[in-house]
Amino acid sequence: MQKMHARVLVVLAMRNLRRHLRRTVLTASAMIVGGALLVFTFAIGDGGHEQWIDSGVRLGNGHVTVERPEYRVSRRIDDRLAADVRRAAEQALAAPEVAPHVVATSAKLSINGLASSSAGARPAQIVAVDPVAETGFGMVDDQIVEGRYLEPDDRLAAYVGAELVDSLELRLGSRFVVQAQDTEREIAGQLLRVVGIFRSGVPAVDQMTIHIPLTTAGDWLGSQNDVTNVGVVLDGSAATALVRGHLERALADPVTRGDARVMGWREADPALAAAIAIDDFGAYLTNGFLFVIIGFGIVNTVLMSVMHRRREFGVLQALGLTPGQTGAIVLVEGLTLSAASGLLGVALGLAGTWYFFGAGLDMSAVMEDIGDMTFSGAVIDPVIVPLFATRRLLQIVTFILCIGAVASIYPALRAARVDVTEAMKFDR
Amino acid sequence: MANDSTAAVRTAGVWKIFRQEAEEVQAVRGVDLTVARGEFTALAGPSGSGKTTLLNLIGGLTRPTRGQVWVAGRDVSGMTSQELARLRLAQVGFVFQAYNLLPVLTALENAEFPMLLQGVDAAERHARVRELFARTGMDGLEDRRPGKLSGGQQQRVAVVRAVASRPALVLADEPTANLDSAASEALLDVMAELNRDLGVTFVFATHDGRVMERARRLVRMVDGAIDSDERRA
Repeated sequence: MQKMHARVLVVLAMRNLRRHLRRTVLTASAMIVGGALLVFTFAIGDGGHEQWIDSGVRLGNGHVTVERPEYRVSRRIDDRLAADVRRAAEQALAAPEVAPHVVATSAKLSINGLASSSAGARPAQIVAVDPVAETGFGMVDDQIVEGRYLEPDDRLAAYVGAELVDSLELRLGSRFVVQAQDTEREIAGQLLRVVGIFRSGVPAVDQMTIHIPLTTAGDWLGSQNDVTNVGVVLDGSAATALVRGHLERALADPVTRGDARVMGWREADPALAAAIAIDDFGAYLTNGFLFVIIGFGIVNTVLMSVMHRRREFGVLQALGLTPGQTGAIVLVEGLTLSAASGLLGVALGLAGTWYFFGAGLDMSAVMEDIGDMTFSGAVIDPVIVPLFATRRLLQIVTFILCIGAVASIYPALRAARVDVTEAMKFDR
Repeated sequence: MANDSTAAVRTAGVWKIFRQEAEEVQAVRGVDLTVARGEFTALAGPSGSGKTTLLNLIGGLTRPTRGQVWVAGRDVSGMTSQELARLRLAQVGFVFQAYNLLPVLTALENAEFPMLLQGVDAAERHARVRELFARTGMDGLEDRRPGKLSGGQQQRVAVVRAVASRPALVLADEPTANLDSAASEALLDVMAELNRDLGVTFVFATHDGRVMERARRLVRMVDGAIDSDERRA
């Protein structure tokens, strides 16, 4: 009997939606436009965020990084990863469950030091890398201003940030000296020659960063082939948790001993994570307001429909429907309308956003006066490629359904509480 | 007061008092009434005499301020909304002055609606409704929506809807008020025939002389109370 009731209620709800076609279409239009806008704004927003993350992790330590727990604060050469930990991490990244997500891996020795020339001395972030691995890891090709990147056979070569080059009054081929604490805790110096100049767009990077070959650093500082961290760039930030979890399991012993720590980009770069969270919050707030307005529209439309159909609800209750079942008809109508129009809106949003998949949405016209936009170590690309995530689409559909349900509750209550005898009084 | 389980309806000292702002309106005042199964009874009286309110009390559409109402042997006075809904579904059929068919359903679907809610299977529903449609001259109009039917036809669908689910009684509130003479007579013929052939208990609220003439029992109400109760052969 309950099953029969449910079927009858759904049939009544559907026919009423069809009967008041203009009202239905008007309400549905608001939901369709809202749903499409929601998909578009989040696809563009998520695409932009993914680009920020990609830029940030390539300039930094990757989506996931393995390093000693103390290193993040100390930045000292003493806090190098043990060779067996590095090996274990690199082997774990080759495992079939994570390898498809790994785009590049780079083991680096990154320490603070001092760079000097005849023009003066400047603090420097010295990053010793395997040139081949780093070419795939960083954004070397996009950033070279002059010269070239490091090559495997380089010995005393340095790839230097453009602003550091300027402040030390260097140029391509110039020699300069870097000093840092070695493994014996002595200050050691090394003569280098500028082979390439880069500009990342991030002032802190361009003012301080010097890339040198890992072999050069090993000889200079006595660190041999040791590194301070192993960074991994993934095919998308969504794979971070998977790879991080895998590495944590693979490195369980050194992690427990305090010899290693595995971090995702959110931990490694909390400022970038916070910036994205704030931007997301803004999008949630804007879309929330948009849907509150749409929700009020639905409340208004459904409530008007309820007011016009008071007699009908009275009749239904006289014929044997309970107040709850009467309210359920209105709820089913509201939910069906929201679900159908919301899904159509999502489909339209996907279709509309699909257009920007190829070339992306070019925002350079509104950003041209700003120049390079950076924050939290990430460069903002003016061309945004939208990103669709199943999780996001599910969130959007759930949100639309919730708005539809919430907007239908009050009208449903009004329908349930209709005074049967008043509702059926003949209009004289 | 004891319940008479053989009666379709019994009221005992029923009052219904409405409050309109500071004023108290006694719509029904201490009515004692018993309607036996199979009766064809009219509650007559001028506007404001309380006949529609009494009908609503019997049908469980409103609750008495004081007193008790039994329908098919069950005391409805203290029932919850859900219990009243179930009682109406199982025991009471309604015919309204304004027909009150559901506009989104066809004539057949309207007539079947209470049976759908009762869970009667499709074959049985169709058989009952088609038989009643044949009796009421509604053959061939099954697929029409209410908007495509005349007032008389809509009221006949309403009567079929009220009767098809085989309730203990049918309550008809001014069923002929919107019909012309011919349609009224035809409708009364139909209801009298259903009463006679199927034993359906009818209680009318009316001030239509034609209905009063056809009723086998005429209860006159004045100012919310029963003024006279006349039985005819």
